[in-house]
Amino acid sequence: MTAVQVRAPHAAPESTPPITGPRPSNPPRRKSMVMLLCIAPFLVLIFLFSYFPLFGWVYSLYDYKPALGLSGSEFVGLQWFQMLVSSPTQLAQIGQVLLNTLAISFLGIAASVLPLGFAVMLNEVKAPWFKNAVQTLTTLPNFISWVLVYVIAFSLFSSSGLVNDVLVDSGLVTAPLKFLDSDQHVWLSMAAWSVWKTLGWGAIIYLAAISGIDQSLYESARIDGAGRFQLMRYITVPQLMPTYIVLLLLSIANLLNNGMEQYYVFQNAFNKEHLQVLDLYVYNIGMTGNSLSLATAVGMLKSLVSVALLFAVNGIAKRVRGESIV
Amino acid sequence: MKLVRKMPVVAVAVVAATMLAGCTGSEPDAEAKVVTEFPEEWSEPITIDVFDSLANYMGVQEGWFAKIVEDKFNMKLNIIAPNVAGGGDTLYNTRVSAGDLGDLIIVDRGTKLDELVEGGLAADMTPYYGAMTNVAAYDTAVQHANESLGGLYGIPTSVSSIKPTEPSEGIDPTFGPFVRWDLYADQGYPELGTLEDLLPVLKKMQDANPTADNGEPVYALSLFKDWDGNMMVTAKQPACFYGYDELGFVLAKADGSDYQSLLDSDSEYIRSLKFYFDANQMGLVDPESTTQNYDTLFSKFQNGQVLFSWWPWLGQTAFNTAENTAAGKGFELVPIDDQEIFSYGAEAYGAKTEMVIGSQAEDPERIAAFIDWLYSAEGVYANANQTAGTAGPEGLTWELNASNEPELTELGQQMALEGDAAVPEEWGGGEYVAGASALNTTTVVAADVDPATGFSFNYKTWPTYQALVQTPLSEDWSAHMDGATTTMEYLRSNDQLLVAPGASFAAPADSSEIEALRNQVKAIIVQYSWQMVFAKDEAEFNSLLSEMQTQASGLGYDKVLEFDMTNAQAQDDARKAVAAELG
Repeated sequence: MTAVQVRAPHAAPESTPPITGPRPSNPPRRKSMVMLLCIAPFLVLIFLFSYFPLFGWVYSLYDYKPALGLSGSEFVGLQWFQMLVSSPTQLAQIGQVLLNTLAISFLGIAASVLPLGFAVMLNEVKAPWFKNAVQTLTTLPNFISWVLVYVIAFSLFSSSGLVNDVLVDSGLVTAPLKFLDSDQHVWLSMAAWSVWKTLGWGAIIYLAAISGIDQSLYESARIDGAGRFQLMRYITVPQLMPTYIVLLLLSIANLLNNGMEQYYVFQNAFNKEHLQVLDLYVYNIGMTGNSLSLATAVGMLKSLVSVALLFAVNGIAKRVRGESIV
Repeated sequence: MKLVRKMPVVAVAVVAATMLAGCTGSEPDAEAKVVTEFPEEWSEPITIDVFDSLANYMGVQEGWFAKIVEDKFNMKLNIIAPNVAGGGDTLYNTRVSAGDLGDLIIVDRGTKLDELVEGGLAADMTPYYGAMTNVAAYDTAVQHANESLGGLYGIPTSVSSIKPTEPSEGIDPTFGPFVRWDLYADQGYPELGTLEDLLPVLKKMQDANPTADNGEPVYALSLFKDWDGNMMVTAKQPACFYGYDELGFVLAKADGSDYQSLLDSDSEYIRSLKFYFDANQMGLVDPESTTQNYDTLFSKFQNGQVLFSWWPWLGQTAFNTAENTAAGKGFELVPIDDQEIFSYGAEAYGAKTEMVIGSQAEDPERIAAFIDWLYSAEGVYANANQTAGTAGPEGLTWELNASNEPELTELGQQMALEGDAAVPEEWGGGEYVAGASALNTTTVVAADVDPATGFSFNYKTWPTYQALVQTPLSEDWSAHMDGATTTMEYLRSNDQLLVAPGASFAAPADSSEIEALRNQVKAIIVQYSWQMVFAKDEAEFNSLLSEMQTQASGLGYDKVLEFDMTNAQAQDDARKAVAAELG
């Protein structure tokens, strides 16, 4: 460290290249070549992680057996696709799965105002220790895995869990209520669990945005006689809207990606019908049911629906704003 | 500048290289030389991966069994257990795709073994077979198992020299209605004409004993879901009390006199669901049934929170401790007049699970030697565990007494009666149960006779043990069961046992279409079965039943059933053939 500091003043002038007038600029072709090379790693990554996996679709045309490899497995053409559409029960099952996926996603999107409201409210808390404590406590669940969340859910809500024990002991109910193994309000309870897990984390970005709001806006509003709730309504919330819209768009883009961990740990014979989302359905067929090729065929459905959604949104954007995304 | 310009190229190269590295696999070793005798000692220590589809323990084998294996073979066993990992065949598929399932593979014949052989993941044992003298004693079974494989790939487990028409199970059948005998006695030993007559009796037993010693509520029935496969596993068990066992979606009677479609409204399976439904309506079913696993259930049995067990190896193993039986408490078979309990005849050609050497194994010769040892008398005793039921190593758990009869040592008695014992340091230390073989694989059935002692490997059949376990419980049971001393003896003398001749029948592999259909249908069956048991009234039960039937047939149930029916017929033919040939 010190050696560098000592040597630096002497070394600096020597290493500077002699200035011999204006440097000739690279020819444009060469410059764009360099630029292309600079983005090449990212292109490669995109290719590897977004396009290369599409090669996996060929598995849907085979009767894939892991022990034999793709080359040793039998080519079956469109057998799996025919199987998917051949029976009305099968189609109804896929319809139910898509309905579950969309319903839970839309509930999630509807719930995305909650972190916003939570951040606005939290911002009004004046005692720093309380504010910090609340923020820490609500952010923590985001870092717990879904498996542990289920452990918590189980110890609270199973038939011998805390809640049922209290209810039964206090004589409010005679038999334990079935919270986890019932088909009632599955979509709502799943959405509620994910709100519980992500509320504090989602609020962080809004809290950051709030601290970026120009204080002079508040001052002038106060001079105009605005009260606390008027400040929230006319200054804070409108200022947060751009952030909110961006996040909303991102969540719509993820409509079909509601993951599977949450549903995997919560699924049982009683709630499966309304809880099985697309990702979980593919997992259940492919991994649990050991039909990898059929699962690939079902998984392709996700891409098809995504493409359909993209074109739909694009069409709407074209009509409303006069410009399209793709 | 030069470096900066090269950066992307380097990055691309690195990424590409990493990706490609993931795709390469190594080729199996060249042909091994023929071995006629295994060496006495192995100089180099190794650890082998054992992919064991029967194991319920994952990790390196510890305790006394590990010490025996290490002393003999200088080898440690790293057990990979798909049962523990969960997620169905995920672990199997991942390892198989990587081209290396394990050094020693314990896997089912049929689909899986065929696939492993075809895919080059299994090693041909022919070069070592000449040295495998213990296995060679069961050569008929070995040859039968490898008939269609074009080599010697699998050594069948549970081989035996007992006749295929005789039960393979020793003193207790695999299935049977076992109740808390002491509480049944409190009700005055009521007569039971048929399965459903149990319900009012269980109701009285539960009402008279609402809480267990630990303060938790007692339920007559407690269910679990871990083992659900083609159907809800606990709902199949009562069908076994009437001589049926499952083959896919078929319930086939042991003597081939009846085949039922699982979902027929009058099948034994639906009868069981109705039985549990009625029980639940009477408040006899543990509400935690829907969420608990086998381990939780087992500890409930240990605590006396459950009154009925489908298997001796659940109720008796968990609850019939020395202390409880001395107090007259414990699980015993209850006589139901029309029962006809299914019994597995000794498999003439071994069970469907086989031992296979992986083609990537580092030292296949040593693994072959290890497998061979497991079929020797010493290996059979040592490879003891809860399910195998053999006595444990000579000198540790048992020894020959003055009159040359095998007798449990003090440690052996502790193990047998109290469930566990501390193992002395020279045997590796630790607790006996924790140190028992985690392979959970029976090589030679425990009911077979050890030629050296003249008694069976299963200590429970020894006269010295029978004398030891005379308890108030067994005496009371015996007094009310025409003086029978074991469950098997009672069932046989009352003609209530239906032995399915052990033909070692393995159903041919499902075609992938059948497999895909089956997997979807079985998910529906399991899901609706649970809902039916916990339906709120009879109308809901019936509507769920018809919904299950429609959904299942919509997903291709009939096609799979037809396939299974053909197999059931073939199984019966094989049973009849083996009974005629070897019975």
